[in-house]
Amino acid sequence: MTLSPSAFANETVIKPPRDWVLIGLWISLVVVAAIWIAPFVFIVFTSLKSTAQVTTTSAFAPPVDPQFVNYAKAWARGRFDITFVNSAIIAAIKVPLGLFISAMAAYALAKIPMRFGRLILVLILFGTMIPFQVMLAPIFTLVNGLGLIDTYPGVILPYLAFGIPYQVFILYGFFRGIPHELSEAARIDGASHFVTFRRVFLPVSLPVLAALFILDFVATWNEFAMALVLLQDREMWTLPLGLSAFQGQFSRDYGQLNAAIVMTVLPATIVYLIFQRYFVSGLTSGAVKG
Amino acid sequence: MASVTISSVRKTYGAVSVIHGVDIDIRHGEFVVLVGPSGCGKSTLLRMIAGLENISAGTIAIDDKVVNHLEPKDRDIAMVFQNYALYPQMTVAQNMSFALELAKVDKATIRQKVDAAAAILGLEPLLDRKPAQLSGGQRQRVAMGRAIVRNPKVFLFDEPLSNLDAKLRVAMRAEIKSLHQRLGTTVVYVTHDQIEAMTMADKIVVLNAGRVEQIGTPLELYDRPVNRFVAGFIGSPAMNFLRGTLQVDQAGLKVASGSVIAIGAYPVELTGRTVEFGIRPEHIQVTETGGLDTLVDVVEPTGSETHVVADVAGEKLVALIRRRMPISVGDRLPIVFEEGQGHLFDAESGQRLILSSGQA
Ligand SMILES: Nc1ncnc2c1ncn2[C@@H]1O[C@H](COP(=O)(O)OP(=O)(O)OP(=O)(O)O)[C@@H](O)[C@H]1O
Ligand SMILES: [Mg+2]
Repeated sequence: MTLSPSAFANETVIKPPRDWVLIGLWISLVVVAAIWIAPFVFIVFTSLKSTAQVTTTSAFAPPVDPQFVNYAKAWARGRFDITFVNSAIIAAIKVPLGLFISAMAAYALAKIPMRFGRLILVLILFGTMIPFQVMLAPIFTLVNGLGLIDTYPGVILPYLAFGIPYQVFILYGFFRGIPHELSEAARIDGASHFVTFRRVFLPVSLPVLAALFILDFVATWNEFAMALVLLQDREMWTLPLGLSAFQGQFSRDYGQLNAAIVMTVLPATIVYLIFQRYFVSGLTSGAVKG
Repeated sequence: MASVTISSVRKTYGAVSVIHGVDIDIRHGEFVVLVGPSGCGKSTLLRMIAGLENISAGTIAIDDKVVNHLEPKDRDIAMVFQNYALYPQMTVAQNMSFALELAKVDKATIRQKVDAAAAILGLEPLLDRKPAQLSGGQRQRVAMGRAIVRNPKVFLFDEPLSNLDAKLRVAMRAEIKSLHQRLGTTVVYVTHDQIEAMTMADKIVVLNAGRVEQIGTPLELYDRPVNRFVAGFIGSPAMNFLRGTLQVDQAGLKVASGSVIAIGAYPVELTGRTVEFGIRPEHIQVTETGGLDTLVDVVEPTGSETHVVADVAGEKLVALIRRRMPISVGDRLPIVFEEGQGHLFDAESGQRLILSSGQA
């Protein structure tokens, strides 16, 4: 079989027309991404420059002679060995625990008929409306009264108190959207509420849970104000506290400062990369009926 | 196999009453269809049998054991939902084995039961797929498989076919029926589709507005509907109704326009009563001469038969004609009602007037 040249000519004619909306979207996406990435590039580049290079080269010029020693020095001077461990312990306990409690509370409120369910929900949602800055002084008094200043529970408990309401709020809405036949099928299959929650609801909610996990991890990891008030002993400081002291102390050493920032941000980035695949895959599956 | 006895069951939501005292006896191995218009309480009744809704009053017994206060899992029932309610994150095999796993059945037995159910339903090649990767009909089968593996005393179905396309629905209908014959398990099946009810049921329960209208075999309901509602609900195309005053001396019915339509002989004591005369479309015959003079309004050929909507003395009648004949809109078509096929209902109460009428 041979194709005449005109057949090819026809094919080029049939090519779909350019979608200008799509092109516009792509351009704006690239612009937005560039705006977001610029500071990050700046920080990474600067973290690898010596003080002399910082002042003599442009901010976006790649480091010619990478000063990895900045990281080692920043680690030592910023007492990262202490603050990093403190932050890690607090986040590792607070984030999963808070999410688990929130999910259980949201399940109970959404799926178990209770006499005062509505009232409890409203009370919890009320918690999302209180700006915690207003509560800093009362929280200090409370935590102090409990003798928990400068302890892990002393920060973890207030973190939980402020994190849970908005997580319950989001998960409640999500659980309500799960067809009630699904929990009824589980009930007929002999599942208790807890089994239904763990085996049916949690897997279905993986995308939301992953998103909440990322958000909550970043928020907890970077939290500053409450930690500043509740953790006074330098041995208990978290990363953001260490970073702030760092800034005052070595304000002219931009290389080390930026190395410290990179090390602070890195764990949050890693958590994001680990968990984002769940919510991307979650978006494409999980249909209940068709 | 099990019997299900529903006695004086009521359901109220706060002040709203949706089931007003229902009695149904379901025998061992029977295929019972609950049918009725939307919102009549079919699902509510089924969910009460399942244990998903509280029973406001009355009792439900499975095998003579009152189950009012038993959890669903302790009632030994399995339910198939309209939207299948498959666990989206589990594979087909996991979906089917979930109940057994929770009941702490050992792994080998679970495998064996899942394989057996999969073989019955032709699901073997799909066992490792997730529900999202299945077609509607396949999901439907998985939902049934999930019910079968538990080997329950009673299967409960809530409109299991209404999400399927027409052709698949017919196929699944036959499949469910043959499954029932094979397993012999008692089935309570809810549908609003009277054809599904007629084709599948051993016994049909017609519900309307939270009350039982009639219980009987498909043909009993078809031939001897006890009231106007059942008569109109069962059968497609629906029964024709003519409202008027009985003129027994003329063997006719005086309709709104003042004309008297010949409907055949009825006991003389009924004369002067306001009634509704019902006649099924297939009991209307086209005659050569005589009969009622009608004017053809609509002609709908389906191939095997032709539905003709005709106007007689200001009343519309649907006739179902099996014979091929040239009929077109605007034709004058003489018809007769088949002898002894009419149904008489009291216009006021809707109750059947002469129980011996019809094919009795
Ligand atoms: N939680 C509830 N509160 C109040 N009324 C309810 C509730 N659930 C159902 N109803 C009412 O009960 C009646 C029966 O509902 P049901 O779901 O049993 O109808 P159905 O016969 O299954 O109808 P369909 O064919 O549309 O599924 C309806 O009128 C409905 O409005
Ligand atoms: Mg229903």
